[in-house]
Amino acid sequence: MEPDRTGGTMKKLAGADGPVGLYVHVPFCERKCAYCDFYSLENHGGIDAFPDLITREIALYADDRDPARVRTLYYGGGTPSVLSVDQLRVLQDAFRHSFRIEPDAEITIEVNPGTVDPASLAAYRSLGFNRLSIGVQSFDPGALAFLGRIHSADDARRCIRDARDAGFANLSIDLIYAVPGQTDASWYATLDEAIALRPEHISAYSLIVEEDTPLYVQVREGNVTPHTDPREAALYEGTMARLSAAGYDHYEVSNYARPGCRSRHNSSYWDHAPYLGFGPSAHSFVASSAEGPALRWSNVRSLQGWSGMIEKGERPVSQEEVLSGQEVFDEGIFLGLRANGLDRARVERLSGIRFTGRQHQTLADLVGAGLAVEEEGRFRLTPAGFVICDEICARLLVP
Amino acid sequence: MDHIRNFCIIAHIDHGKSTIADRLLERTGTITAREMKFNQVLDDMDLEQERGITIKLHAIQMQYRAKNSEMYTLNLIDTPGHVDFSYEVSRSLAACEGALLVVDASQGVEAQTISNLYLAIDAGLEIIPVINKIDLPSAMVESVKHQIKDLIGCKDEDILLASAKADLGIEDILEAVVKRIHPPQGDPEAPLRALIFDSVFDVYRGSIVYLRVVDGTLREGDKIMFFHHGRSFEAEEVGCLEMKRTRTGSITAGGVGYLIAGIKDVHDTKVGDTITSAVRPAPAPLPGYKDVKPMVFSGMYPTNAEDFEDLRASIEKLQLNDSSLIYEPETSTALGFGFRCGFLGLLHMEIVQERLEREYNQNIINTVPNVEYRVTKTNGEVVLVDNPSYMPQLGVIEKVEEPFIRAQIIVPTEYVGNIMKLCTERRGVYKNTTYLDPTRVDLHYEMPLSEIIFDFYDKLKSTSRGYASFDYEFLDFRESDLVKLDILLNGESVDAFSTIVHRDKAHEWGKKLCVKLRKLIPRQMFEVAIQAAIGSKIVARETISAMRKNVLAKCYGGDISRKRKLLEKQKEGKKRMKQVGRVEIPQEAFLAVLSMEDE
Repeated sequence: MEPDRTGGTMKKLAGADGPVGLYVHVPFCERKCAYCDFYSLENHGGIDAFPDLITREIALYADDRDPARVRTLYYGGGTPSVLSVDQLRVLQDAFRHSFRIEPDAEITIEVNPGTVDPASLAAYRSLGFNRLSIGVQSFDPGALAFLGRIHSADDARRCIRDARDAGFANLSIDLIYAVPGQTDASWYATLDEAIALRPEHISAYSLIVEEDTPLYVQVREGNVTPHTDPREAALYEGTMARLSAAGYDHYEVSNYARPGCRSRHNSSYWDHAPYLGFGPSAHSFVASSAEGPALRWSNVRSLQGWSGMIEKGERPVSQEEVLSGQEVFDEGIFLGLRANGLDRARVERLSGIRFTGRQHQTLADLVGAGLAVEEEGRFRLTPAGFVICDEICARLLVP
Repeated sequence: MDHIRNFCIIAHIDHGKSTIADRLLERTGTITAREMKFNQVLDDMDLEQERGITIKLHAIQMQYRAKNSEMYTLNLIDTPGHVDFSYEVSRSLAACEGALLVVDASQGVEAQTISNLYLAIDAGLEIIPVINKIDLPSAMVESVKHQIKDLIGCKDEDILLASAKADLGIEDILEAVVKRIHPPQGDPEAPLRALIFDSVFDVYRGSIVYLRVVDGTLREGDKIMFFHHGRSFEAEEVGCLEMKRTRTGSITAGGVGYLIAGIKDVHDTKVGDTITSAVRPAPAPLPGYKDVKPMVFSGMYPTNAEDFEDLRASIEKLQLNDSSLIYEPETSTALGFGFRCGFLGLLHMEIVQERLEREYNQNIINTVPNVEYRVTKTNGEVVLVDNPSYMPQLGVIEKVEEPFIRAQIIVPTEYVGNIMKLCTERRGVYKNTTYLDPTRVDLHYEMPLSEIIFDFYDKLKSTSRGYASFDYEFLDFRESDLVKLDILLNGESVDAFSTIVHRDKAHEWGKKLCVKLRKLIPRQMFEVAIQAAIGSKIVARETISAMRKNVLAKCYGGDISRKRKLLEKQKEGKKRMKQVGRVEIPQEAFLAVLSMEDE
């Protein structure tokens, strides 16, 4: 597809002087995990050229005379911590050169506990990173082995300690539950230990069997049996209960934060705030504005294809989608319900589409059945609602 | 006129009517074997070929040089084989002087054959019995001869032996048609009288009338008049029906052919009506047919509410070629806007449904079929109820009457027990048994029509390993202890599931329906209670517990499109469901009620 409005500068795309979020996808891992379907390579042949290519990609969007303001910057992957400190410095300099990073911007890097040490963590601090997202996944050695993680539980414990020592005041821990073979007790032990470490933020995902992963093949061939729905639902409910008892605010299907510590970057995905992604397979979004309708696009999902286009001076976009009012409306519904609550007035304003009588009725029914609560004009799912979030969203999408 | 023969073929399904017709067409050179693209020419609708049944009437003209060297014009008028269409049989019979009675040598005489045969005998037709498939290893020629002699009292040598597949005995059939069937009577000089035995609609030409001229001559340019409504038209085109319409300019007394007269409305060409001359009208019309009354009713709704107008247009078009279909708009709280349709029988209903789907690309939901009830209210008022939703309240009903039929079932003796058990279950009243021969009996029952429109035929076949054959005719309305059974979902009645059943069966039916719906309605956000009720009394209950889990943990980083596409797929699935109150009902649930006995 021929890129269209992606031809504007980021500031113009964002449609206003409002700040944007930036994401950079680092498509390298020491080893691919069995369950992961994000784009990443174990072969690091392209890693040396990577910082320079990102720099050139940034230049394709930047407006040097009037740089866009940036409120969040997020390094994800893959495993961003496989980049050397020098390589990360090149990237940080490139972003600073082309954008106006706000002083209080949230700057996050995802790290694998097996690829960092006190020295690298201290260096991240000095590069301006102020938030770490640590891929702990589990403190159960059996689960770690099943998931194909390269680090041990002790590596993870040490990483969290070292991060604090390096001065990181904003830590997030990623955890995975419903791992085949794992007992409920083992999961709750992991969760309790995570809570005891007092991170500001916890992401707890149930294991999803994605196509095109080694795990998918194992399940298909009958070597691995996923959890049953009722058991997974019970684990999810137990997880929500423990985290809220520990003072974490459940602000998205799988995300929990201490007050004031939500991921500002990820929240922009769920709030229809603009973000620009760099690197292979990265996704971008700009909201509708005087410049045009809302737009989503994604980069080429191949390091070679992506770098080839950049070398030709082209934006490495493979898919672009102009959102209709209906699509903005539908997204507004499910993103709202998955995250911070559905604000009907805001969704109507963004999309230009009104809720129907049936949709109003469904929302009222949800509240009546204890699946949602209405607070300050927003409908937020209760734990019982989150367990069947997709069902609720699909039903609410029917006009 | 001496050289015209008009005849039809009476046969049970699969006994070889179409194959014999094909051979006759070949032998008379009306069509060559090479031209015979399809095996069976007469059935030209796809559906007919697939189902092996003839739905609509057709007629075809052949020229045959007999052994006496003279040329004869033979008009073969086709008859439908199924009981639903027996009224069409009487139409064809009225246009003929003779009938071939075709019986399968391995199967023997069947119920429908007998009822059609009696119609033909009543109409004064010459009957030529033909035993077909005599080359089959399982042929029981002597036994079948015996059955036929018992039925029509003919002699051994009157019965022709044939095998249409092997092309045996075809010449004998043609000779018998010429020799044994009377030439048509009628006065070519008398005022025109022509009987309409069918009509089809052509978008360019209007109504095309198939007729048999009884008296006088029909010529192009004639001013003609229809007795039924008295309106006049000019005959634009007149001809005979060969492989296609062949313009001849006129048809004289005794002849069969078609007429085009710029008639825009197919209802102006009422089947059974008489056409006469507007200039020199005949004093009286020919005897017509009984008006056809629909026996089975069902709601037809578009799957998507937006398609209502489309469905209306399609039904209108379809009705142009199927005047026995009646319909009127109705609304259902569960299904929205649709039509209540009246059919001749269950097969007719299925055919209409399939034609709407295949030929008109309509997606439709059919409600449970029902018969028409005659309800006498306590204030003496009598109402006809063809939709269970409109059944008056229990308190104001004096009595309810339902249509009864006379059922005839022919079955090998070994299955008599099974069949009698089935008939008793269906509230049948036993009348009598006749032995056709030592191995086959002819059973007579009086039964409520409502008990046979529902999979009775399938049951009959399965309990007799396919050997039983069945026919019925309407008898009268009789009082029965009938109640309306409603289905409630979370306390709200779903009108499309309401049925009228005998009180003794209401419990069992309610239980079965609840169980079936529990299996068909998916788990939802909320618990769903399914209840069956008579009036305010609950007679059965099932519960669908709330959905346990449906959420994907991650939203794929910034890839919101992927999540949206997944949810939009689910949304489309939900759009196809019908919502009653807070409960989403999949379409299969409405259809599955049609096959309640499966489990």
